[in-house]
Amino acid sequence: MPKCIIDGREVEFTPGQNLIEVAKSAGIVIPGFCYHPGLSVVAQCRMCAVEIEKMPKLQTACSTAATEGMVVKTRSERVKDAQKSVMEFLLINHPLDCPICDKAGECDLQDRSFDYGSPYQRYAEERRTFEDVDMGPVIKKNMNRCIHCTRCIRFGDEIAGIREMVAIHRGNSTEITTLTGLPLETEYAGNYADICPTGSLTLKDFRFKKRVWFLKKVPTICEGCSRGCSLELHQSDNVIYRCVARENLEVNKYWICDEGRFNFHYVQAPERLTEPAARQGGSLQSAEWSVAVAKAKATIVDKKVTVLVGSDLTQEEALLLKELAPKHFPGAAMFHFGTPGITAGQHDAPADKILKRTSKTSNLHGLEQLGFEGLVTLPRGTEAVVVFRGGRATLPDLGGLATVGVGVFTAAEAEAFQAVLPGLTFTEKSGTIVNFEGREQQLKRVILPLGQAKPLAEILTMWANVGAAAVVARAGAKV
Amino acid sequence: MQQQTETLFIQHFGKEESRSLAYFREKMAGYSALRKALGMSQDDIINEMKRANLRGRGGAGFPAGVKWGFIPKQSAKPKYLVCNADESEPGTFKDRDIMRYIPHLLIEGMVIGGYAIGAKVGYIYIRGEYTREAKLLNQAISEAYDAGLLGKNILGLGHDFDLTVHRGAGAYICGEETALLSSLEGKRGEPRVKPPFPAQAGAFGGPTIVNNVETLAAVPFIINRGGDWFAGLGKLERSGGTRLFGVSGHVKKPGLYEIGAGSATLRQIIYDFAGGILHDKKLKAVIPGGSSAPVLTPEEIDVIADVDTLAKIGTMLGSASIVVVSEEYCVVRLLTRISKFYAHESCGQCTPCREGTRWMTDVLYRIEHGHGREEDLALLLDLSNNIAGRTLCPLGDAAAGPVASFVKKFQADFEAHIRGGKCPSA
Repeated sequence: MPKCIIDGREVEFTPGQNLIEVAKSAGIVIPGFCYHPGLSVVAQCRMCAVEIEKMPKLQTACSTAATEGMVVKTRSERVKDAQKSVMEFLLINHPLDCPICDKAGECDLQDRSFDYGSPYQRYAEERRTFEDVDMGPVIKKNMNRCIHCTRCIRFGDEIAGIREMVAIHRGNSTEITTLTGLPLETEYAGNYADICPTGSLTLKDFRFKKRVWFLKKVPTICEGCSRGCSLELHQSDNVIYRCVARENLEVNKYWICDEGRFNFHYVQAPERLTEPAARQGGSLQSAEWSVAVAKAKATIVDKKVTVLVGSDLTQEEALLLKELAPKHFPGAAMFHFGTPGITAGQHDAPADKILKRTSKTSNLHGLEQLGFEGLVTLPRGTEAVVVFRGGRATLPDLGGLATVGVGVFTAAEAEAFQAVLPGLTFTEKSGTIVNFEGREQQLKRVILPLGQAKPLAEILTMWANVGAAAVVARAGAKV
Repeated sequence: MQQQTETLFIQHFGKEESRSLAYFREKMAGYSALRKALGMSQDDIINEMKRANLRGRGGAGFPAGVKWGFIPKQSAKPKYLVCNADESEPGTFKDRDIMRYIPHLLIEGMVIGGYAIGAKVGYIYIRGEYTREAKLLNQAISEAYDAGLLGKNILGLGHDFDLTVHRGAGAYICGEETALLSSLEGKRGEPRVKPPFPAQAGAFGGPTIVNNVETLAAVPFIINRGGDWFAGLGKLERSGGTRLFGVSGHVKKPGLYEIGAGSATLRQIIYDFAGGILHDKKLKAVIPGGSSAPVLTPEEIDVIADVDTLAKIGTMLGSASIVVVSEEYCVVRLLTRISKFYAHESCGQCTPCREGTRWMTDVLYRIEHGHGREEDLALLLDLSNNIAGRTLCPLGDAAAGPVASFVKKFQADFEAHIRGGKCPSA
């Protein structure tokens, strides 16, 4: 591999790599604002200027490809002076409202000010201000904080495939906005907040909810469709506040869709059943675990049972069911379900030109690998159904059959069920899911189980251990 | 009075009839160079251009023949020849007269240029304010089409070349070649990252040469009479041909003057050609190459007005547009106005230019109006230093150069404003 010299160190590079990336591979940070590895290079913030031997002017590292023997200085006096002046220029019109800005604590502008800026202010003129347009339900815009990096413009143009963010006016009056002042249309709008290097574009969903430095960040995988984008879920005190994209060049690059980004809300929605429940007196009522399990078992005893397994469950959970089902539900047929109309992996297709897939569950392909078949119609003569579900699979029409729900349901979904044994969402458990390419990825537990929700293994153990006959009698007596 | 060298353009200015194809053919051997060029090889033409020492007339002074030589011989994408007729540098008005009085000369130069670089399509990007010139160019172009001098199989010699006039929308920045190309493509007129240079990937991604009007208008002369003859019109080694100097400001006879490149000093041009300072006042300042050129004091103008000679003393020939300022005018006010122009015309991409040009203007405005502070001058110098050389395109330099030079060379005037709380001449 060819080599160049950065700050006196010999660094190998791949031809075509720019200096920011080459330096990064050697652990040397060259600061930048407009540069984003997933977007085209515009070299306009000028923050990444470096000194290159034999070149009279400083060169922007983002737009300069490394060449064999190139000698680069990233911390020379000239470079430091340039960085300091760019920071000064960027801050003269910035409101410096960090105390009330949602971006504070994870703001490139703030961090770079600390590292490269000057503690003194020389600007004595009036600050530039703008009036903001409403950009729709996802993004809140604050143009006063904008540093004109144009990442958002390029994201819309190059990734989302819609040129909705634009620069209007010119020079010092340049305003970054939507072309017509209309709300954003893309279904990937949350990324605008992810890539904004200041608090100019923030998530309405997250605004004023939590200071970011209190958040614990857990890397995990999206369960929103069969792609399985890499995510980071942010929690504090067992409450999830936010979901952001996590870089994974092979699956989702730097992006996620809004559907995946905001999917986590159902986990902590008040409608979710996190207490065991049994049908008593014509309605589903919270009950003790033993009572609910007994009710569940009573519901299916001596009946022709069909077991439905949501393709939103992990491989571990599915394997467990595959092993234990013959024991717990002898003779029962078992199918997977998840997205209406998608009963087999081959039906899963791209839903747009970016990331989304038509299978709205994460583990369709994993379940197929394990030999599960998709539910087309319930087998003739089915008298009772046991549904295992991770929380996202779309429930099939059960036609009023006696149903036991194991896993994650809302009160409305489980309204007609005989019993609900609350299980874990993708944020409360670890496990493996397999995406549409056959890639095995790991879900990681983000929060502790809410309410009395329990892991599937524990629920199945209870199922086995609660004395069937006695419990049936007891449950029967109680009901 | 300085001895006049042979002139190429100026004798045809100011006449209605010089616009016509008939005049061009009769009085200027019109399109004979084209016939000759189409019989030459592309390399021969480019070599002739190199021998001519034709420095680009737009402002940067880059040797035109060398530039043509950058175009790749083979290209998967179509090549383009673009004429930069944006003429947006304040003080500049030379290309306008070429376009309105001898448009066919430009057309002929472009067809030859197109042949030399292998382009079948050419554009004249003309500043939006030149409505009349655009109309006259279009008339000349249709005349040329009718005469078989544009279009398919020109003069029956097998070369195709189509030429279109594209009008700008009034942005200074579109005089910068990559911004010009963006604008030509229908995009926001903003400079692009170089490399790739236009010769590699320019208009619509194809290899493109962008030349100034005066540069292209010189081409027919070079073809007809040879590069060596053209080079000989210049008096300095690396600068051939004649130059159109536009003299404006406080002189008795403002206007265009054509002289052999490097054959006169600034003082000679101002006093001998342009008749000296208006009302016989004292000279205060000279901006030698359009408003972006660093200013000169009266002591500095005994210098040959050419690309390298002016560069040597820290300013530039630019578009050879000399702005003369008499003692009656306030230089602080002048710099404030110049600075405001560049702040207004900054495209807003690069941080130093977007933020710094406005900052400098605000500070200058305060000084001009008596609200300056002692530390403002050091601040201005620092700001101009933080902009110069640190932006994508030369607009940053254009904004920074005047500020640094005015503040350094006319420090007393600025201090008088700051200390007196008002303009001393007010």
